[in-house]
Amino acid sequence: MTNFTILRRKTLAIALMATLPIFSSLAAAEEQKRGGTLVVGSTQALRHVNGAVQSGIATAMPSTQIFASPLRFDDKWNAQPYLAEKWSLAADGKSLTLNLRKGAVFHDGKPITSEDVAFSIMAIKANHPFTTMMGPVEKVETPDPYTAIIRMNTPHPAIILAMSPALCPILPKHIYGDGTDLKVHPRNSTDVVGSGPFRLTELKPGQRVVLERFDKFFLAGKPYLDKIIININPDSNNLMLGLERGEIQMLPYATNSTELKRLSTNPALTMTSKGFEGIGALNWLAFNTAKKPMSDVNVRKAIAMTIDKNFISKALHGGFSQPADGPIVASSPFAITDLIRYPLDLKKAAQLLDEAGYKVGANGERFKMTIDYLPGNDEQQKNVAEYIRAQLKKVGVNVEVRASADFPSWAKRLASHDFDMSMDVVFNWGDPIIGVHRTYLSTNIRPIIWTNTQSYNNPKVDELLNTAGGLLDPTKRKAYYATFQKIVTDELPIHFINAAPYFTIASKKLVNVPTSIWGPSSPYDEVSFK
Amino acid sequence: MKEIDQVQGPWREAMHMFMRNRSAIAGIVMLGLVLLVAIAGPWVLGADPFEIRAAPLTPPLSEDAFLGTDYLGRDVLTTLVYGGRATLLVGAIAALLSVTIGITLGAFAGYYGGRVDAILMRITEFFQVLPALLFAMVVVTLFSPSLVTITLAIGVVSWTGTARLTRAEFMKYRNLDFVRAQRSIGASHARIIWRVILPNALPPLIVSATLAIGAAILFEAGLSFLGLGDPNQMSWGLMIGSSRQYIFSCWWAVAFPGTAIFITVLAVSLIGDGLNDALNPKLRER
Amino acid sequence: MGALRYLLSRLLQGLALVLAVVVLNFILVHAAPGDPVETIAGASGGMSEELQAELRKQYGLDKPLPVQLGIYLGRVVTGDLGYSYFFNLPVSNLIAERVPATLLLVLTSVLAAFLIGTTLGVLSARRPNGWLSQMINVMSLVGFAAPVFWMGMLLIILLASVFPIFPVSGMRAIESSGKGWGDVLDVLHHLILPALTLGLVYLAQYSRLSRAAMLDVLGADYIRTARAKGLSDRAVLYKHALRNAVLPVITVLGLQFGNVLAGAIVVETVFNWPGLGRLAFESVLRRDYPTILGVLLFSAVVVVVMNQLTDLCYRLIDPRIKSS
Repeated sequence: MTNFTILRRKTLAIALMATLPIFSSLAAAEEQKRGGTLVVGSTQALRHVNGAVQSGIATAMPSTQIFASPLRFDDKWNAQPYLAEKWSLAADGKSLTLNLRKGAVFHDGKPITSEDVAFSIMAIKANHPFTTMMGPVEKVETPDPYTAIIRMNTPHPAIILAMSPALCPILPKHIYGDGTDLKVHPRNSTDVVGSGPFRLTELKPGQRVVLERFDKFFLAGKPYLDKIIININPDSNNLMLGLERGEIQMLPYATNSTELKRLSTNPALTMTSKGFEGIGALNWLAFNTAKKPMSDVNVRKAIAMTIDKNFISKALHGGFSQPADGPIVASSPFAITDLIRYPLDLKKAAQLLDEAGYKVGANGERFKMTIDYLPGNDEQQKNVAEYIRAQLKKVGVNVEVRASADFPSWAKRLASHDFDMSMDVVFNWGDPIIGVHRTYLSTNIRPIIWTNTQSYNNPKVDELLNTAGGLLDPTKRKAYYATFQKIVTDELPIHFINAAPYFTIASKKLVNVPTSIWGPSSPYDEVSFK
Repeated sequence: MKEIDQVQGPWREAMHMFMRNRSAIAGIVMLGLVLLVAIAGPWVLGADPFEIRAAPLTPPLSEDAFLGTDYLGRDVLTTLVYGGRATLLVGAIAALLSVTIGITLGAFAGYYGGRVDAILMRITEFFQVLPALLFAMVVVTLFSPSLVTITLAIGVVSWTGTARLTRAEFMKYRNLDFVRAQRSIGASHARIIWRVILPNALPPLIVSATLAIGAAILFEAGLSFLGLGDPNQMSWGLMIGSSRQYIFSCWWAVAFPGTAIFITVLAVSLIGDGLNDALNPKLRER
Repeated sequence: MGALRYLLSRLLQGLALVLAVVVLNFILVHAAPGDPVETIAGASGGMSEELQAELRKQYGLDKPLPVQLGIYLGRVVTGDLGYSYFFNLPVSNLIAERVPATLLLVLTSVLAAFLIGTTLGVLSARRPNGWLSQMINVMSLVGFAAPVFWMGMLLIILLASVFPIFPVSGMRAIESSGKGWGDVLDVLHHLILPALTLGLVYLAQYSRLSRAAMLDVLGADYIRTARAKGLSDRAVLYKHALRNAVLPVITVLGLQFGNVLAGAIVVETVFNWPGLGRLAFESVLRRDYPTILGVLLFSAVVVVVMNQLTDLCYRLIDPRIKSS
């Protein structure tokens, strides 16, 4: 996999040597050509382009082009100015002051003011699927048109990350503040007036999205691209062909090992795994700890010991995925490596099962169970489930793989806790408060997916998470999360398999392929063609 | 006019005609082969079609995989051999179901006429207007995909053609002399329907039933292709559907199961054609 | 007078049929596990319980089923097909946007199959044992036995990958402007493979049917005519026979229109053709009830209309029925 940053540095070095004057980073930007149409391939149909009420990676791609946010992030988890020139978090962590830049306008020419920021943040709090993101926010004060002060009722360390383009699009109050429920607002997909580098010019549901440069974007000279076309095709194979033929220039979230292998050897393309740290996707095996025999931690450990994660990554995923061992994805600043692991050991597994009281019966079977999986990505879900079935057979556990016809069927099963164990893929979403707490807090045992459907209940873990969620000092937070990760890997409500392998494959003609922590779910104002 | 109430002679003659039809024989041979492979094959191979045998995307005529492997490394030959069972089973039983429903409804409609006919015809029209595939999809999603639900779904949407055919035949026969004679003797309606008219009306229905098998197989393949097949049973449609995303990298995983479906349905159609020729009185008169 | 009353009764029957279809499907789709809110939560990467409850309330999904059905029917009668839960756009707009693509595909395939098929069938009837007849036999069997999606995929591999003559998928080139003569050519270029795939199935059927019907008529009348007059009547004979040959094809065409949508679903999926079939299929997977029901309603109406038209056509062409 080529790292694009290295390539860019090399180009700069050569340029430096070619001419005598010393170039500053500003000059590097001057080198970028203006113009061109970027065609991006996507397999997901998106609902609409308003990221304030619709999360998920499908909407994030266009939403981050159409709407700007107070801050943006680089590839080192550092916040950078965007709509806000300056920002400061109060010492007690209960308020965040944003100083907006002057002269920024919406696509209809009206100025972007703190009123819009206040409106947007409160709208997100009311409508966004991730309630923990803006949970503690009480109100947003607007002492002057270019200052917004977000007031929270407790210290909320995630608030800065929550200002990302994917999570905090700034909507025009004069359009969306008409009283219509934002979740079903007609301006979410037609006649969209945004604050970002690109305008929406065409939206064909389930087919394509066309974005064009907004000439009055507040970052002068940007964006470089004339147009972006998001081409939606549920068949990733076709997208791959499109890439090879040059009809598509960028394919983010490429995840299929056969395609990755084929594309990695293509001399006209680059491939990078950078850009997905923010999302933090984990493939894992969830246990329903409220059901026997999964309620016994030793049974869970035994099951974990029959799974060889290296085999899964190498043989099933062509070497493109990395085994994961904990609830926080390795690329997060809060991840630790000192976790409890379960290397492959069939003998020990059998022994544990014996000790737990599940001896092998006359028919060679200890007990029966079922395994579900998230439909849609066979390689990372169904095949792993089948592999687990084959492995558990070796220790006398009879597993039936239950298929779900489509996503809602599976979601229903998990939501109603009608499962023994299930493969799943869940995102960390940057700060653990947003995407990690929801899985382990005992207060979040609910009949909906991607909550604590495992019925995991450990008051100590609750305490650790709630405390870490209220501390501002990242070092202190990390300490709490470290203990949390150790406990969770010891109690195993979930057995983590691997970090979902996402790659962005792009044409070599593309400069500045997005590789910040949010990667493809961030503005492409700095992308250009060679 | 031939004596229709003597059912022995014409059948034997039909058999003779059938046996002389070369394509029909070809059909029987092909079907026989397919059945042999489907029934005996798994027993002979003794392998697991879902097992990962070799490296993914191995082309045919390689060492470990005679017909190559698919994107997961599953042996195509094994899946071909095992897939026949699910496909043929669903095809046969779904066809049986649809033909049973069709004949029953058509017989009642054609024989009784009047209000019964009107009501049954409305029901038939209703199922005709229903987009079959979508309806089957919803049914399968509703009850979660398995061989049973798929068979039921296919059977329930495919009977209208047979029903119409049966109805036409029964309408033709019910007013004929020999039928009326039976009634005057005091034979019950049930006896007349099942013992008297049906055997005479059988020829076109047999043809229809044979074609129904082919149609059911294609329907199952289509459902599996769209992702609604029973994922725990290897079937040819399932193979094609799951390899669909990789057709440019391993066309063999698509080509071979598709050929298998093609040969099976072709065989069934040839047999149906042969039966049609053998049993069709018009052609016999020439 | 009788004709008017007949038409009216047929119209009412048609409406009743459509209504029955909608009601049955309404009950079925709501019975499938999961609901649109779960799909939306899935697309969102998770959603809080409160928000899900709010959405359900907004979409009216918390009401008992018969009430929901009543509300839906009430809207449909006024022409309001509702809003898609997934896309938040009016269902009628979604359908209107996709209908042209499906219509183009289906009409092209069926029309071509009809014209070529009946021609071939009629021609081959002149020599029942000639090579054309044999070829039709073979082709019709192939057309029937080959799974539509397999045929489509093979065509793609052959004519879009190995010999890249045609595009792999879609209806237009990605960067096309969608306007002008260039666009027409672009669409036609994209149309050929899908239309060929769908058309082959019907071509097979129609050529067979028309040949059989033609043989039927010719067989009976030919002998008579051969005994009676001479060549001058051959023209009349053929015109008469032709009429009879076309009849069953039209009947099948009309009656099978329901199947056409099914065939279209598969072809549209294989070729990523942006049509109604794919919309319906994807909507079922998303439990997007209004869209599913809207498409089903639309297709039911189309099928019923086609049935009636076929009936009419039949009566016009078939001299035997004309007398009534």
